[in-house]
Amino acid sequence: MTVKTRYFVIVSLLVIVIGLGTGLVAYYVGFPTNAFFSRGGPEELRFLPSSASVIAYADVREVMASELRQRFRRSVASGAQENGQREFQNLTGINIETDIERVIACFDATANGSAGMGAGVVLARGTFDDVKIEALMRQHGASLENYRGKRLITGDRFVPPFPVNNNSNPGNDSTQAPQIAPPQSSEGFSLAFMEPGLVALGSRTLVQHAIDLLVSGGASAATNDDLVSHVRAMEGGNVWAVGRMDVLRARAKLPDIVANQLPPITWFSIRGRIDGGLQALLSAEARDDESANNLRDVIRGFLALAKLQTSSKPEFQRFVQSLELSGTGRTVALSLDVPSQVFDALGAIATPPPSRQPQ
Amino acid sequence: MNNSSLLRSAFRVFDISLGQMLWSRRSVLLGLLVGAPVVLAAAVRLYAAASQLPVINATRLSGPTLFGIIIWWLFVRFIVPVLGVFYGTALIADEVDDKTITYLFTRPVRRASVLIGKYLAYLACVVLLVLPSVVLVYFLVVPIGGRIGESFPSLAADLGMLAVGLAAYGAVFALVGARLKRPLIIGLVFVFGWELAVLSIPGYLKRLSVAYYLQALVPHAMPQDSSISGLLLALQDQPPVSVSLIYLSVIVVLSLWLAGKAVEGREYVLEQ
Repeated sequence: MTVKTRYFVIVSLLVIVIGLGTGLVAYYVGFPTNAFFSRGGPEELRFLPSSASVIAYADVREVMASELRQRFRRSVASGAQENGQREFQNLTGINIETDIERVIACFDATANGSAGMGAGVVLARGTFDDVKIEALMRQHGASLENYRGKRLITGDRFVPPFPVNNNSNPGNDSTQAPQIAPPQSSEGFSLAFMEPGLVALGSRTLVQHAIDLLVSGGASAATNDDLVSHVRAMEGGNVWAVGRMDVLRARAKLPDIVANQLPPITWFSIRGRIDGGLQALLSAEARDDESANNLRDVIRGFLALAKLQTSSKPEFQRFVQSLELSGTGRTVALSLDVPSQVFDALGAIATPPPSRQPQ
Repeated sequence: MNNSSLLRSAFRVFDISLGQMLWSRRSVLLGLLVGAPVVLAAAVRLYAAASQLPVINATRLSGPTLFGIIIWWLFVRFIVPVLGVFYGTALIADEVDDKTITYLFTRPVRRASVLIGKYLAYLACVVLLVLPSVVLVYFLVVPIGGRIGESFPSLAADLGMLAVGLAAYGAVFALVGARLKRPLIIGLVFVFGWELAVLSIPGYLKRLSVAYYLQALVPHAMPQDSSISGLLLALQDQPPVSVSLIYLSVIVVLSLWLAGKAVEGREYVLEQ
């Protein structure tokens, strides 16, 4: 065998062995090696603060393409949704269906947001028309500044031109132009193009913090082991949320009478998979075993009540029967499977019956 | 001469033939065949980075699905049979055409060892090129909306299936090359005529093809390009994996044995 042939054989075998080895490790260890996930959760976690109270994720592309969403759009609110999307695109240059790949949102109850109520930031990954978005925001009164080499678009009194739900106002027509949301934060709304295809928008504090993390690194949600371990458990869902209930409750300043009634939950998580239907797993981590048992008893009671209530409604029976309570120790979990028929039934209920023609 | 000397001689022939096969003009064809899916996969990956894959039948095309389609249409249906035909039929025929077979047959080794050595060289050559190509395609395409870990069992099954397919087609066409004149034409007719025809006809004729057993090993669902193919798929029966493996092993052993007998007994007349 010549040297050239030997090298060829070695290179070929290396490609096969490395490929199979990587696949084997991914298969057994379960580390996600797709483009969306790094070692534990979405890669955008490294731009979110380590003190995040709630993190939510949505694979917009998958959800938009899901059969459930298509059915929902056809049956429930096709006109309103399409108009809203078109106007959102006209205002921001972003087509929700095609431009946004995934979003990850974070709420930090400990951040200095408006009225001390915390702050939030959304990181959107996709294809964006930077020039159009920037021009549009400036048109609405936003100012441009340079923050650590990134263009930060901020408006102290600027309100993002996102459509708000008009359905709460019975007089509104869904075809009207979207209302401009009222100002919610005294510190203003900021937007920054973090890197190609990644936009951060939300509270100025957290957007600046995201840029800090991008430029110089540091402690982030990705380095918060407790958070990452909860996020890792969300793998497989195309929508999910993870949060610290104890932090939220402490910051919510609820009246004692209400706060004492709430179950002592430390962590909560919701993992959903939207495709032909909706499969979801709601989990809560109670403070101790006794609290978890109490919570399970409460849920069990609600489940029994729900089964009783839906015994005469076959369209909802399958959904109620799919509710399954599980969990051991401090963990309480409730899984559910909502078939598309349930959404069809809801759509039928939501659709007003045709008015009778006068005889 | 006993079996150990047959294998020793075959290994010597394998050692010489592997380099000859790898660096021959025919390797350009091989390079194009195995390089095309990699280029295609890279293009798809770039496209997916900028946009999203199209929706087919209300379902967005995902990386694992696309990988299954590439395996079916490019590798199982085209690359593996074509490589088998071009290389398998040439194992002996090339030596006859080049008038170099005399040098091999005048050596103090059994003629069958020449065929077996060349067959092993063919197998090593194509396996070392096709399998890395599949691995590269897998890592380029599957992460588009899929997970590498989740799809890994299908990759392992694909690699095994392709190696078995290359062995089976190579053995069949080694027999064709050893016994018949104009083996290339006969091979092409077999692959693109006979096999395609019998696979679409209900009945037992499909059992006289390699593709029938090979397709049973493919871990991906067969892509349906039309309602007719969907109907054919519904009518199609597939043997169990174990049965397919047994039949393919029988095909390899029997074809090589018959090819060895043919080479041992046949008088090759070199045209002057």
